[in-house]
Amino acid sequence: MTPLIQLTGVTKILKGQKTPRTILDGVDLTVHSGEGVAVLGRSGSGKSTLLSLVGLFDRADDGQYLLGERDITRLPERKAAALRSAEFGFVFQRFFLLKHLTAAQNVAMALVNGQGWLPRRKRRAKVLSALDRVGVAHLAKHKPPKLSGGEQQRVAIARALVREPKMLLADEPTGALDTETGNLVIDVLHSATKDGCGLVLVTHDWEHASRMERVLRLEDGQLREVAV
Amino acid sequence: MIRLSGRLRSALIIGGQGMRARKLRTFLSILSLFLGVLAVVVVQAGAETARAAALSNVELSMGKDGTLETFLPGGSKTIEIALDTVKDRPNVVLSLDMQATVGEPGVTTLNPGGAPFEHAGRGGGPPAGIICDFQGCWEDPNAAARPKPQGKAVEMRVMAMSADVRQFREFRLISGEWLNFSGSPGLSPRIVLNKDAAKFFSTYQIPAEMQISGATANLTPRIVGVVDDGMMEPRAYLRMDELFNWLQPGALANASAQMLLAPEAADVMQILKTRLVAAGDKHAEGLNAHPVQSAEMVEDQLSLLRWVFLGMAGLVLLIGVAGILNVGLATVGERIEEFALRRAVGTPRTLLAGIVLAETLLTGLLTAAAAIGCAALGLRFARGFLAGQSASLADISFPWQAGVAGIIAGLIAGLLGGLIPAIRAARIPIATVMRA
Repeated sequence: MTPLIQLTGVTKILKGQKTPRTILDGVDLTVHSGEGVAVLGRSGSGKSTLLSLVGLFDRADDGQYLLGERDITRLPERKAAALRSAEFGFVFQRFFLLKHLTAAQNVAMALVNGQGWLPRRKRRAKVLSALDRVGVAHLAKHKPPKLSGGEQQRVAIARALVREPKMLLADEPTGALDTETGNLVIDVLHSATKDGCGLVLVTHDWEHASRMERVLRLEDGQLREVAV
Repeated sequence: MIRLSGRLRSALIIGGQGMRARKLRTFLSILSLFLGVLAVVVVQAGAETARAAALSNVELSMGKDGTLETFLPGGSKTIEIALDTVKDRPNVVLSLDMQATVGEPGVTTLNPGGAPFEHAGRGGGPPAGIICDFQGCWEDPNAAARPKPQGKAVEMRVMAMSADVRQFREFRLISGEWLNFSGSPGLSPRIVLNKDAAKFFSTYQIPAEMQISGATANLTPRIVGVVDDGMMEPRAYLRMDELFNWLQPGALANASAQMLLAPEAADVMQILKTRLVAAGDKHAEGLNAHPVQSAEMVEDQLSLLRWVFLGMAGLVLLIGVAGILNVGLATVGERIEEFALRRAVGTPRTLLAGIVLAETLLTGLLTAAAAIGCAALGLRFARGFLAGQSASLADISFPWQAGVAGIIAGLIAGLLGGLIPAIRAARIPIATVMRA
């Protein structure tokens, strides 16, 4: 089976300091359709950097990155933006919801991004469907300050899912939530893999990581598989 | 219907959301730009109004811009041929300009030499015995015969017209009515006075008896109206056919003849020239019609002034641009996470720049709308006041050029003020911001 994404020998060196620091040193990562992969590691071990490379926020200094069978290692920014829109969904620790927009408008942000145009009615249907999928459709007209942390994160997940991405990338999505709410959020994220979506979950929490199909630990710039 | 592209729609939607979310900032941006855009609108409106007023005044005396004008050589034969040529051509007016005296016969007039009312009796006009018109000044051959006793009579230039001259010179009717060229000529010529001539008649008891050199007898004119013709000295206008009831053909030899033609009647000039040459008039070879360049003349007078004021308005606008730039940079700094997030969900850099530009351009347009509204309102209030100052300003309306200038100024200010913030917004790195 062709993997969804395949990173081979990926290296990332942090420059701009007195001595360049190798954050990722020949990392290999493969994620298949419908598979949830957790990445554990200490703070500063390079987990978020790895996610930045996978999500095309940044470019690797060395190695190869395949999306399906397509080599996207050296993609120009314009094409990277189009791929981020079409193939990837992102969930962050701090939710990053815009306070002046309603929950529905925050989700619609992923649709009103200059990558194609959907008429208002279709856009609205997609947004409501995404909110419904994470169980917060009734909060569509609420603005983020009126929502709890868990609700905000679910709205953020709906934003990540609204374009029906092939890969979901979550960077410590439960970091700002209590245990119970965190578990709910992981449930929602993991449920997306049932539809064939791949998931890379960066977390500190072993309990959350252990619910994924595979667990990897990032240490000294290398990814190692951990037995669940 | 114009279909806007997805990116343009996205930029407008997101820009609109941004403006609604930061109403106070949007208002402050509008405020900082307002004076600059208003200055541009007011200068442009003022310049257009002044131009229209000046042009209206110049066209009163010179003729409408583009009108063809020619002066014919003297001679009764020339005028007869010219009259025959322009017959049934309503867009050509042949006019004869003559010296006339209205009032008591055989007296020294109130304004020897045809001086204006203000200078009457004070030697303001040309010296006695000198006649001046649009072709120059020369000695009056009848001056020696002029009687000495002072009397109630006015010397004035009389313009006899083959057709209605108001198609070229839009005289403003002050009272009474203008000449009617459609009916049969009357034996008692109807005359219309200009403002200066009317002052003599309203000040002195002047009998209606008109003496024109070469006339078979003194005429008894009927004064039917008063117009503003833009001339300083006393003048009267009458139908040429009514004058010819009283004038010997030989008297036409000394009259100055002017012809005004609509641009589309230029062929008349060629026909006239050919006929005059065929009749043995040697001077007719060099006969040409020149376009009246009223607009150019007015433009020359006003353009420097307009640019000086526009330069000053531009400086005020620049200060407004600095204000909107300042607000824009502060806003981008504040929205760094929003822009990084938008990039993360696939928004291209160009669209991010477009969002910021859309906001500043919309701000510029709103400012322009406010400035145009204020200027139009101001002009409406000023109109009542200005109408009393000058007749040419009585019917002024808000010039569309000022509206266009305001919109352009608003858009340029929005573009200049938004460009640097837009570039900054497009350069925000996603990874650094989203990791923080």
